[in-house]
Amino acid sequence: MSDRTPEQELEAFLGPRPPEPLPVEQLGIVVGGSLSEGLTVKLDRNTVIEGLAVGRYVVIRGQTGRRFFSIVTDVQLDALNPLIEKSPPDTSDPFMAQVYGGTAVFGQLEVAPMLVLEPGEDEPKPVKTVPAHFTPVLPASEDEVGLIFGREDEAGFFHIGEPLEMEGTHVALDLERFTERSAGVFGKTGTGKTFLTRMLLAGLIREDVAVNLIFDMHNEYGWKGQTEGRQEVKGLRQLFPGGEVSVFTLDEASSRRRGSRVDAVVRIGYEQIEPEDVDSLSSLMALSDVQVGALYFLRRVLGRDWVARLLDEDDPLAELDTALERGTIHGGTLGAIQRKLGMFRRFDFLGHGVSQDPVRQILDFLDRGRNVILEFGRYGNSLEAYILVANYITRRIHEHYVNRTEAALGTREGEPRPLVITIEEAHKFLDPAIARHTIFGTIARELRKYNVTLFIVDQRPSGIDPEVMSQIGTRVTCLLDDEADIRAVFSGISGAATLREVLARLDTKQQALIMGHAVPMPVVVKTRTYGTREFYAALGVGLSGDSDEDFEQARTLLSGDPQGAEGI
Amino acid sequence: MIDKEFQVGRVLRASTRGFAIGCAVMQPDIPAFGSFVKAELEASGQLIYGLIYDVRVEDDPFVRQFIGANPPDEVVLDQRENRQVPIEVEILAVGCGQGDVIRHCLPSQPPVTLDWLYQCTDEEVRAFTNRFDYFRLILEAREAPSDELLASSVRTAAAARPEGEREAFLVDAGRELVRLLARDPSRLEGILRRLRA
Repeated sequence: MSDRTPEQELEAFLGPRPPEPLPVEQLGIVVGGSLSEGLTVKLDRNTVIEGLAVGRYVVIRGQTGRRFFSIVTDVQLDALNPLIEKSPPDTSDPFMAQVYGGTAVFGQLEVAPMLVLEPGEDEPKPVKTVPAHFTPVLPASEDEVGLIFGREDEAGFFHIGEPLEMEGTHVALDLERFTERSAGVFGKTGTGKTFLTRMLLAGLIREDVAVNLIFDMHNEYGWKGQTEGRQEVKGLRQLFPGGEVSVFTLDEASSRRRGSRVDAVVRIGYEQIEPEDVDSLSSLMALSDVQVGALYFLRRVLGRDWVARLLDEDDPLAELDTALERGTIHGGTLGAIQRKLGMFRRFDFLGHGVSQDPVRQILDFLDRGRNVILEFGRYGNSLEAYILVANYITRRIHEHYVNRTEAALGTREGEPRPLVITIEEAHKFLDPAIARHTIFGTIARELRKYNVTLFIVDQRPSGIDPEVMSQIGTRVTCLLDDEADIRAVFSGISGAATLREVLARLDTKQQALIMGHAVPMPVVVKTRTYGTREFYAALGVGLSGDSDEDFEQARTLLSGDPQGAEGI
Repeated sequence: MIDKEFQVGRVLRASTRGFAIGCAVMQPDIPAFGSFVKAELEASGQLIYGLIYDVRVEDDPFVRQFIGANPPDEVVLDQRENRQVPIEVEILAVGCGQGDVIRHCLPSQPPVTLDWLYQCTDEEVRAFTNRFDYFRLILEAREAPSDELLASSVRTAAAARPEGEREAFLVDAGRELVRLLARDPSRLEGILRRLRA
């Protein structure tokens, strides 16, 4: 006969009981508000008001078992009697302070209910009603955050950070949805846009939800990057040494100096440039409408070599004599175009008689599922070069995708892999004056019709065409100061007014407000730190060993063995 | 049966809002302003709880004569212990109870003349002051110095508790006062200061 109690017997059979979860402390109760304006929550006296911040998640437990997932949009101080503000009591006496605190004077929250979870269901739905007066408000638990955003161990989800004041709770982004529409990372300079973008790209590559083409203006994504403290972090190529990432460069010398291992050097022949490519630079080159119109005329008359011939000062351009005589084209216009195209002479990646087709090469990589990073080297400092090349490549790749998608219409087979194109300084491509004409404006408006979406990185969202901006499905926004920029990132987002304060109060570093298509409700996250041992380990990257060897090998290849860089 | 040790005096006159009792002598702590007292209605067994808000020592013809005669000490003692006119104590009714149930409201009936009035024990005070609903009856009483009475009764209730619980009790009482007197911050502050006195 055992001398153990029945409980001990059960524990011996079933194993020790899991520890009882700690009771969640109530923050306060709902005391007013509306669905459109948000709810007012009176904080309990034991709730430390300084411990609450805008952007934090709370859960309101309704009378019917519904859970209303809400976000804190404002924190306020209030008093039972406004007179107390004119004549405050002597709170140097701890007794008086204790009595008044939380009763005569108290804290309030404004919270915006976003989603509701019906009892017995695990799929949150948009909120259509509000909880009653005096409904308790509690901090959201890790399980509840997981219920809303999904879990990082699910396929297609990637841990991007922690909600405010919820250390250890992971917010996972649904990358399938992230790539379903164009997305953007916004924030003023120095707020960590690049690190955030690189982390999101790492997620996209790891989860293999889409293939990426990254126009790497400042050479920060490929082999390695630097923190503001000049500390080196691994680039995507090092993070994914298994061949998932390929690096192309426009500036081989720069890549070699930086020790970057590249797969190919991109060169573009003058004869491959079309008037549309030059048109995308019209604002930067100060081309007038007449001059832009003349580009198309010149292409038609001079043929494929039109750029080379216009740049050749010795070419008499005899074909244009008649047109000049008739006044079809003005001599001044022709001269201005020639002068302005002269800028191309500074770009060594442009030249005569380039036989290879860089677009074909990139497409081959993309079709094989290899993500392509195009480093600009020293040309990253030239906005003209960046826009020219990005437009040139994207226009052709998009055309290819359109053809392939249309060919595959009706059957899923043969459809190209979803492609995400990352561009920086996006407002230069998507300026209201040119967005309607550029390929990037077209892609943004098409959503995922042809399996191509944009991932734009920008510090000046107010410079982006509002129509394009309204098509940006997921917006990851770091701190923005400018009122016009704040207004721009909220365009087309319902309930934006309540989130303005949240955005304006973000930390300057490592905090972002994520809203839109990929998240069921807006979330402020302390973004995951890129470049730490933990981050590398989570992605399964060794800290030394192979990766460093790769680095040294690449350096050797680039400096000593030209086969390391395969010219196109 | 209530212990005679806690007898304060007998009822002189009564109403549901309060009553007056008379007692022959004044002991060091009975009757005291702000004390919790109770009377038992014999017919129904209902208890009426009250707070002492006035203790009045009336004169009588003998005392008047002795004032000018500079009486000897034994005469003074005799006058105090064998009074011709009782000491009158005014009580504000603040609750009633039946068995273990205590309600903070006016009693349905007043005590009857010459019923005994008893001092509440510490245990009874603690039970009665578990809630603060009776504050409103005090604050609305016109016949009593309500602010002083309230502060004094809270201090009495705090003293009936173990030392470690007194501060928390005073804070809780103060918070209830904040709720009741939010519209009158100066009165509120006055009472809160008296709680600490």
